[in-house]
Amino acid sequence: MPQSRSQRLGAIVLLVASLVGFAIALYAYFAPLTGVNGTLGALVAILANIALAVMALILPALKGNATRNVWRVLILLGLAGTFFAALLLHQGWICVAMVVGLIGLILDMVLANRATHPAQP
Amino acid sequence: MPTLRTTAQRLGTATALALFLTPLPLLAQDQNADQTASNAPEKASSQAASEQAASQQDTSKSVPLVPGTPTWDSFHGQLNAQKYSPLDQINADNVGNLKKTWEVHTGDVSDGSGELPPTVWSATPVFANDTLYIGTPFYRILALDPATGEQKWSFDTNSKLEALTQPALKSRGVAYWEAENPVEGKSCQKIVYLGTMDAQLFAVDANTGKKCSNFANNGVLNVNQWNDTNDKWPLSVLQPPTVVGDHLILGWAGNDWAFEQAPPGTVFSINARTGEREWTFHALPKDMREQSGTANVWTHMSADEENGLVYLPVSSPSPNYWGGNRTEKAPMATSTTALDVDTGEVVWSRQWVHHDVWDYDINSAPTLMDITVDGEKIPALVQATKQGFLFVVNRLTGEDVWPIEERPVPQGDGSVKGEKLAATQPFPTKPAPLLDQSEKPEIWGLADAVSFGQCSALWDKLTYEGMYTPPTTKGEGTLAYPDSAGGVQWGGVAYDPQSQTAIVNTSHIVQYVKLYGREAYEKADSGSGNEVGFSPQKGAPYGMRLKVARNWLGMPCWKPPFGELVALDMHTGDVKWRRPLGASQQYGFFMPESWGSPTIGGPAVTAGGVIFIGASMDAKLRAYSLETGEELWEDQAEAPAVANPAVYEYEGREYVVFIAGGNSILKDQVGDQVVAYALPKDDSE
Repeated sequence: MPQSRSQRLGAIVLLVASLVGFAIALYAYFAPLTGVNGTLGALVAILANIALAVMALILPALKGNATRNVWRVLILLGLAGTFFAALLLHQGWICVAMVVGLIGLILDMVLANRATHPAQP
Repeated sequence: MPTLRTTAQRLGTATALALFLTPLPLLAQDQNADQTASNAPEKASSQAASEQAASQQDTSKSVPLVPGTPTWDSFHGQLNAQKYSPLDQINADNVGNLKKTWEVHTGDVSDGSGELPPTVWSATPVFANDTLYIGTPFYRILALDPATGEQKWSFDTNSKLEALTQPALKSRGVAYWEAENPVEGKSCQKIVYLGTMDAQLFAVDANTGKKCSNFANNGVLNVNQWNDTNDKWPLSVLQPPTVVGDHLILGWAGNDWAFEQAPPGTVFSINARTGEREWTFHALPKDMREQSGTANVWTHMSADEENGLVYLPVSSPSPNYWGGNRTEKAPMATSTTALDVDTGEVVWSRQWVHHDVWDYDINSAPTLMDITVDGEKIPALVQATKQGFLFVVNRLTGEDVWPIEERPVPQGDGSVKGEKLAATQPFPTKPAPLLDQSEKPEIWGLADAVSFGQCSALWDKLTYEGMYTPPTTKGEGTLAYPDSAGGVQWGGVAYDPQSQTAIVNTSHIVQYVKLYGREAYEKADSGSGNEVGFSPQKGAPYGMRLKVARNWLGMPCWKPPFGELVALDMHTGDVKWRRPLGASQQYGFFMPESWGSPTIGGPAVTAGGVIFIGASMDAKLRAYSLETGEELWEDQAEAPAVANPAVYEYEGREYVVFIAGGNSILKDQVGDQVVAYALPKDDSE
């Protein structure tokens, strides 16, 4: 059963955060004097954010709690790894984006849980 | 018991470190590149020193050691190599407001991925004639407006961009000379000089950028005409000449580690106007020149104009890691040698390594300073070394300021045939060594743990009986701490004459060296391309391998910090403060600043109580408090700034300029950036 818009809110937040992270990483890689321009580390951050965005897009379409939970764990690892990489790249705004992405992931879990167990009248 | 948090932190750190520390190519001659010990200046030289001092009292003109006006017209700013500016518009209180005022990209850069070799650019901008002069690694001279960076003129030597003696296209910039009384309207009263890899020295008019036709052969001096022994390669003029009066004092760079024999070290005095050779200094005794070679001067020199002395930092003889072909005395190899600038005669010489088999080239100009010790004013110099020693002697006589002791050193395991090691080596008692070389450096637990004991295993296979443990053919070889990459490099020591504080950046790098008999060498360095650190020393019975002590993840096996900035009180020789300098970086990932960074380049210090320095792997430019060592300002550069910055005043505004050119010793990051900083106009007014 397709998710309602409110149920997809978490995934949307995650998607937006990943896209923002992607844009910042892109800037860090291509703009001069970012300290990490042209480096493998910045490239990894770009790819990680792309991967997170794709995972955010797929998340609402997944069926079955087990599959969804596995997917969420993967997203969590992606967020943590990208956060850590951004920390070492001195790209604080990517860290902020990853925290927002985490909030999106938590939202996704909470809203999904509410849909499965609606509050008693 | 470790908490979850600390475990996670360690794991994270380990992950990051796995990406850290580029293989540090090794520093020999900025490349990669039976002696009875004496604890006193050369005897004959002492007499000469006394005579020199006496005659100078009668004849020399008064030239203050520290220029009366702000001066930054040579590689180390001033001939005394203090890298000191009396300017104080930028000070410890306002340096945080520093802004980039202009930036120039020369275009003369190569990362080595195309047809050109990579560039290594270790130049300091020279400020003179109301112009900023820059020499590039493509062997061009640029004359820039000091306030805007706008180009006034450029001159292209059209030198072939071939790495003839070095693994990269290298330059340390230009030198500047002007006549004592320049004649208005006459050309070449002010000259800029630039040397090339193929041993040509160009002289161009500082106002127009046109070649000076009266200098040598239409403005070009072929230095290689004097390459008459073991001339396998040209005498590369990568370091600009040291200009003392009307003399250009010129050394050159060669090609270390490749062959047993090399051209023997010579320094030339050249007439600044005509290019005529005035005298030649030979660092090696005549009978050793052909069988050995080098002991050249490949870095800058310093000079005491008032006393007519030029100070030579002399490198080690060839080959660098085996001395069986040079067992005779060579007292001026690996030395600081003072010459009479007019005649080239040796006034005094102090050898800092007897029978050098570690490539401990003296690699920076000694810093000249007047210091007050126990109430006595002493005309001194400080010679920093790769070993992390600071030798302090009277610059007129070469005698100790604080005792320099000859101490017995390890005599090896006898595995190297033909070697005849020195029984003792000189150790300064003050200042204390910048790093503790007396014992095997402590293994970094983190690096050891994540490599499952690889570092411990390596340590067990390496011989170390303190510094000066000679190379061996056994096991994995000898641990070398420091070796060619460690300690102080060509940035040398800066000095604030007001507070009598010396400032120096140092690296902590552990390497290990092994000698291979010829047959074993051919087998080990089979040419498959997988071998690292091998150099043949062709002709010698031993080839060698020199590596940085890292685990399989690339992490250093020894404990941080990997580089520091140190301030010393020269009244006492004691450390005022020391702190990690910069951050290490690999693949873009920055390591914690508490670990510091290996450093190449050096500081500048100002009367505003500020130290400016680049030099670190993270390619940042920083300002520190002279008083406390606190970091006050930083900015990101295009590549590591691997020379001293320049500080000057133009039209009432103080500027600090860095060249961010990079050096593969630190990492494979190159740049072509010249960047100037000043206070916002409101602040500077």
